[in-house]
Amino acid sequence: MIIVIDGRDLQPPEPMERTVEALDRLGADDEILLLLYCQPHPLFNVLRNNGYAWTDNLLPDGTREIHIRRQPG
Amino acid sequence: MHPNLSFEQAPPISVPYRFFLVAPWFGVIAGLLLAWSGGEVLASRWTPESLALVHLIAVGFMLQAMSGALFQFIPVAVGGNVWRPLWISNVVQPLLILGALLLVAGFYLSAPVLLAAAVPALLLGVGIFVSVVLLALWRTPATGMTLWTMRIAVVGLVVTVLLGSLLVEAMSRGLALPIIELTNVHLAWGLGGWALMLVAAVSYFVVPMFQLTNPYPLWFARWFGPLLLAMLLLWSVLWFCDDLRPAQLIGAPLALLCGAFATMTLRLQYTRRRKINDATSLNFRVAMIALLVFAISGAAMAIDPGLADDPRAAVWLGMLAFPGVFVSTISGMMYKITPFLNWLHLQRLGAPISAVPNMKKMIPGDSMTAQFRLHVLAVLLLPAAVWLPSLAEVAGLVFSVSCAWLAWNLTLAMNSYRRFRDQIRASALRC
Repeated sequence: MIIVIDGRDLQPPEPMERTVEALDRLGADDEILLLLYCQPHPLFNVLRNNGYAWTDNLLPDGTREIHIRRQPG
Repeated sequence: MHPNLSFEQAPPISVPYRFFLVAPWFGVIAGLLLAWSGGEVLASRWTPESLALVHLIAVGFMLQAMSGALFQFIPVAVGGNVWRPLWISNVVQPLLILGALLLVAGFYLSAPVLLAAAVPALLLGVGIFVSVVLLALWRTPATGMTLWTMRIAVVGLVVTVLLGSLLVEAMSRGLALPIIELTNVHLAWGLGGWALMLVAAVSYFVVPMFQLTNPYPLWFARWFGPLLLAMLLLWSVLWFCDDLRPAQLIGAPLALLCGAFATMTLRLQYTRRRKINDATSLNFRVAMIALLVFAISGAAMAIDPGLADDPRAAVWLGMLAFPGVFVSTISGMMYKITPFLNWLHLQRLGAPISAVPNMKKMIPGDSMTAQFRLHVLAVLLLPAAVWLPSLAEVAGLVFSVSCAWLAWNLTLAMNSYRRFRDQIRASALRC
């Protein structure tokens, strides 16, 4: 299952709040797709410290696609 | 919910707050000084009072606020770690306050001994600050134009402070240096190379994020900072050539480049996806309009140097730039940074996210709006007072009250953090 969070029209810290809430529902094969116009370093630190992996792609319109999964193993 | 999530090791909340809470008081002093001195001190940028006023804003208000913001912004925006932020701020802030007060007193009293005493305090304070900040900015794995533009801005601060120190040495020891040319270059690096460069770097990140605009176009973010740097370098060199006409001429595209940043930011605000007219957006709008007026005035004076013959023309530009552009931008930023800081640090207490209050509850919206209105009045009165000196007293008083109100609102934000922190801790004890 992919949980999509479009944070581009949300004011901080709402995208981070929604993402942290979604982490609760994230199964082993699930993924969160977070869309933002910036790199959320505070969120990256939360993910790094709590066993999640992510990839970050910059699209031509400036959108950052951040794919979040549980760290394997 | 995730009550056990580990949040990042941001600097202690007291680090940025101590800078933010001190900065507005320099604005209060500046306003009172203008009200006390009267409009005739605005007749030229070289009066002792004018020099004191500009450094109260630049070294007092702006440097305090921008230093505090960088301590917090570097970890949040570019993932860098400033080395021992609490220890560094304990050393740097007193040096910056001491240096600013000595510098201002030295200008106001025309006392070379005070000016000379300010130099080591500012060199040491800025030197330590810049060293740790540049290290953090170079070691971060992050990429992007916010990072690169911030690096250029910090180098711009170094150039500004070194040139300023040289000017003070020249004035206090009577060295035979081209004071006017050096002052022009010092001012351009302070306003363009440091302050506007940092505003641009921060804007690339926070304008889309907090004001819900589209991102700055990539071509613009790629070119604005490097082009501004290149033009500043060229302009600086040309001031020391025998023929001053090329230096005056390049002032026009330099001013128009600043105007391009203002136009782009206003355009992004105008076409944003959700119309949010909070104190941050409104302060940014005022700042960008002031920057546009500054750019048009500066370009006109560069094209027709006769317009700048009146010594009040430079003071007009200063009133647009310092209170108009930078105090507005900084006030708007602080109204967003402090609630966000509160939220981020309350999360670190380990409370469920639902237990952490909404950012809008950190500073009363009505109080921010009222302070913003008073600030706009000050931003209108201060440049007008350059041409109508009878307005100077009221302009100074309005600016002073506006800055005191800003300090009060920021104090409310800090008190909110303490109150919510105590509530979260108390509820944790009850569980």
